[in-house]
Amino acid sequence: MLNYAIKELLNRYRSYLLNVIVIGLVTAMVITLSFLGVAYKEAACLPFKDIHGTIIVQKNGNVPENVSGVLLSCSLAPIHQDAVTAISKIEGAQDISSALSLWVFDPDHFKRVVGVNWQDNYGKSLSSRVAEGAAPGTDQEILIDKTYAGKNGLRVGSQVTVAGSQFTVSGIIGMAGNEIVAADVYLNMSVAQDMAYQSKNLQAVERVDKTDVNLIFVNAGQQDLTLVTQKIKQNLNEQDTNAGQTPLGQTIGNYNIYTPDTFEDQISTMLKLSDKLTWIISLVLFIGVCLIIARNTLRVVLERRKEFGVLKAVGYTGRDIQKLIGMETILQVLAGFIVGLLLTGIAVFILSKTTVSIAIPWELSAYPHFLLANPDDANIVQTHFLPIRLELLPVVVTFLGVLIVGLVTALLSTWQINKLKPVEILKYE
Amino acid sequence: MNKIITVKHLSKTLGDVRIINDVSFDVEKGEFVAIQGPSGSGKTTLLALLAGLEKADAGSISVGQENLTSMSEDQLALFRRNNVGFVFQSFNLIPTLNVVENIALPLFPTRLRSSEVFDRSTTAAIDVGLAERLKHYPNQLSGGEQQRVAVARSLINNPQVIFADEPTGNLDTKTGEKIIELLRQLNKEKGQTFVLVTHDDRIAGESDRIIKIVDGRIGE
Repeated sequence: MLNYAIKELLNRYRSYLLNVIVIGLVTAMVITLSFLGVAYKEAACLPFKDIHGTIIVQKNGNVPENVSGVLLSCSLAPIHQDAVTAISKIEGAQDISSALSLWVFDPDHFKRVVGVNWQDNYGKSLSSRVAEGAAPGTDQEILIDKTYAGKNGLRVGSQVTVAGSQFTVSGIIGMAGNEIVAADVYLNMSVAQDMAYQSKNLQAVERVDKTDVNLIFVNAGQQDLTLVTQKIKQNLNEQDTNAGQTPLGQTIGNYNIYTPDTFEDQISTMLKLSDKLTWIISLVLFIGVCLIIARNTLRVVLERRKEFGVLKAVGYTGRDIQKLIGMETILQVLAGFIVGLLLTGIAVFILSKTTVSIAIPWELSAYPHFLLANPDDANIVQTHFLPIRLELLPVVVTFLGVLIVGLVTALLSTWQINKLKPVEILKYE
Repeated sequence: MNKIITVKHLSKTLGDVRIINDVSFDVEKGEFVAIQGPSGSGKTTLLALLAGLEKADAGSISVGQENLTSMSEDQLALFRRNNVGFVFQSFNLIPTLNVVENIALPLFPTRLRSSEVFDRSTTAAIDVGLAERLKHYPNQLSGGEQQRVAVARSLINNPQVIFADEPTGNLDTKTGEKIIELLRQLNKEKGQTFVLVTHDDRIAGESDRIIKIVDGRIGE
């Protein structure tokens, strides 16, 4: 029977070509849309790769009256240890890392400085990118950015003054410069915390403790991300019940929580569209497949009425003929699916060459714009190739979907075969 | 001799016209029977009823051990597959299948292994003189060759009875004679029962018995 079905399709391929093309196009569109949705979601996660986390917590602070010495970057507020402890107790929140991002306005020049716990995930991530030398082993050592080192003629072993203290460059880190919390100087957390604590300009607007940080990185699995984010928000609101007015009249106590969702919203409207429309488009396409397969099958059934009469006359039951048409449909779906996969491969190849631009919020890539000739240079944008790739699950699901839709439609379209009486064949005599 | 077909008080009405009217007769096993009658007399309808292609309104038909009268459409299909062969006037071959595949057509829905199906149909093709035409398609065959394929197809399931409706109707006289000669030869060699409808007196003359139908009734 399979041989019969194959020969029927090959000998009358023109009758079935439309089905194969439609199935191919629908398969390609549904799978590509699915891949695209996943790719945009993954693209939104790319900025987080630098910090080895999926959630970033910051707290808005007050603008110091005197912009000099050591300040928290972007007028962020310090986050006290009790908040860090509270977050670490949230179920699903794994691998809590923290950093203290500072702006240091030294007399000679400005530096972006980040205090790092070298043992946490963020610290380990930085250590892994040391291009020359090593991460700081003592409080007197620092790691400097490659670009910063180049501009200032620094190398491993050079002496650098930060906030009035002398440090030795222990290593040079190869950063692209557009990462989250990119800095010129990386040093031990305790040293950075001491600098912040000692800063009179900072203490004038914020209560800074010796163990405060201003960035918390939380790693939560993709499935727990939403739940953990909600719990963090609830938790921090509880912590922040004493929020009030600062001397400058700004509201304090508002936390910024960044997740991949933050970037999904800004990556493109395409993501939102593909996310919302994937189901609708897929449904419309599947209905289209149904209609076209039904129309084509009905036409073919009418064309082959005499043939089916012969089959019934030589002993085929209605079910045998439906089985034959079912096999023909499966073969068409397979052929269409192979066409669809080829088209999907081409689409994925083309899309993988496209890029997505992700603007990093200023608070996460802080550089004081008033120090730049062009203030727009403070806006950092990451450009990534769209991380689109072939995955098995959407392919299998789409194949099964098209197969079921094709089979059901084709078999429903053959209902009149059961009404066909074999004696009718004699009318053609 | 044993009765292979028993027809009792068979009637069939199409619209307002009674095509078959209270027909009764028997056919013995191994007989070569011709049904003759003028155009519109009901001979093709009678053949369709005997072969289980059509259901009767009244009366009964038994072929071998099977009573066709009470069978559903699917049961009739299985009956045809297992018990009868049918040769059409216009061959009715499947244009997309070659000679061997056309002959094998009734065996495709069975549980026989593919190799056995094609061995049997190849042998059947050779038996009807188509050894050189095994891979040919219907449009590459002459009318006589196409009817030989149809005959081989009707024999492939080793049926008890082969029904033929004007098997030479679309053939020239010489080719028609060869087909009848083939049917007669098969009847003698294999002992299978043949019931054929014909308006050709010479072909009817070759048969063991002639059943004449006039206005839906068995005539003299």
